[in-house]
Amino acid sequence: MAAAGSGHDALPEKQQRALRQAIRLEWLTIGLLVVSATLIYLVMGQSQAMQAALLDDLLSFLPPIAFLVAARVIRIGANRRFPFGHHRSIGAAHLVSATALLLMGGFLVVDSVLGLTAGERPPIGLTVLFGQEIWAGWLMVAVMAATASPPVILGRKKLALARTLHDKVLYADADMARADWQTALATIVGVLGIGVGLWWTDAVAAIVVGASIVWDGWNNLTAAVQDLLDTRALTFDEEEHPLIGEAEDLARGTAWVADAEARVRDQGHVLHVEMLVVPEPGHDPTMIELDSLRRQLHQLDWKLHDVQVVPVFDIPDHLRDSGAHATAEGESP
Amino acid sequence: MRRWTLTLLTASGLALGACGDIPADTEGTLDRATGGALVVGVSEHHPWTTIGDAGEITGTEADLITSFAESIDARLEWHTGPESVLADMTKEGELDVVIGGLTADAPWSDKMALTRPYSGDQVMGLRMGENELLVALERHLAREHGEI
Repeated sequence: MAAAGSGHDALPEKQQRALRQAIRLEWLTIGLLVVSATLIYLVMGQSQAMQAALLDDLLSFLPPIAFLVAARVIRIGANRRFPFGHHRSIGAAHLVSATALLLMGGFLVVDSVLGLTAGERPPIGLTVLFGQEIWAGWLMVAVMAATASPPVILGRKKLALARTLHDKVLYADADMARADWQTALATIVGVLGIGVGLWWTDAVAAIVVGASIVWDGWNNLTAAVQDLLDTRALTFDEEEHPLIGEAEDLARGTAWVADAEARVRDQGHVLHVEMLVVPEPGHDPTMIELDSLRRQLHQLDWKLHDVQVVPVFDIPDHLRDSGAHATAEGESP
Repeated sequence: MRRWTLTLLTASGLALGACGDIPADTEGTLDRATGGALVVGVSEHHPWTTIGDAGEITGTEADLITSFAESIDARLEWHTGPESVLADMTKEGELDVVIGGLTADAPWSDKMALTRPYSGDQVMGLRMGENELLVALERHLAREHGEI
């Protein structure tokens, strides 16, 4: 059994290796999160910024868990009940983690704004550690400083793997982890602010952290919804996926094809292609011609996973570049 | 990695710049009480606090507060009342410290700051945000109980 589906659903060797490495990194991430969340919980006291940092850590569990669940589910190949396979589980995982981010970030911002307007002044007192007295704020600063860098390092590694795998959950996770040091810095500033008697820095720091979570959540939610609505397949940078053009060029370059246009949807790791082809006038494409084009498209790239070639008389207008305009004006179906 | 270095620099810069007086009170209560008056709310609760017929305050927590006041050269102003009234007064900034056999699970943590338990579950209440006073009192309580 291959790690990511078998037979028709298998990923190529390079991607399988990347997937295995990503799974290891995500387990490592979960382990680190357990440690850092525990440390933060132990020292957080009544600081809003520290509570925000804890929430941020707890939320950071979601993308790795979503990824690991999805990585397991995509092993189940296509069957009669799931004729398109299970790659879409990535999209479902993406949607779930984005929604959680958005809601929790929003809650955090509202809660901190209420605390700020009510003038809540967080008490941070003394801690006795191994018979030594120490202001608890220093422990908070130490914990935040210590937990700031590992996610950043892991995030950079995961980002590279996410590109190889074309995995948007992994990408979202990596992107959030890379920005984790900002959360830590905001929290440290908030706690030190309490230290010098500026009580409001704590709530402001919590708002900053909450706003960054909302931002992550919103971006991920829109991206996840777009993918689930089968938008034209996009890369991570919201650019049109280059394989669409390559596949269309290949089809148009075929001798018997007068024109071709593809409908491509993002299934998660892989793309699903319906290539609409208009044969040259007077030419009836044979089974052999159609099947040979389908095979060529399939072999163009591992990502072109599920390919259909559909002979048509005309390319529907809405698929053309100018077609977006007509649809926007409410063209009847 | 450069960003991480930057974080570290910013954080330590902030820490060093402010190192003089951490933690500080938001309203300067400890500075005001030092050499002045410490305003203490008392609700009766044996054996921690007892209010005599002539209004004299005794009990283990009264003793702890008295020795704390001596350590910062403050005289004591007592206010007696039920816990709920004292908690509201503390929230309004009318009291500095509240004693009366409070425990760590007291329902007043949104109205006053509770000290770390100094013995078993026992705590005292303070005005929120007065972290220098909080640390000074907690240090005193820990020393009195031989913790440090």
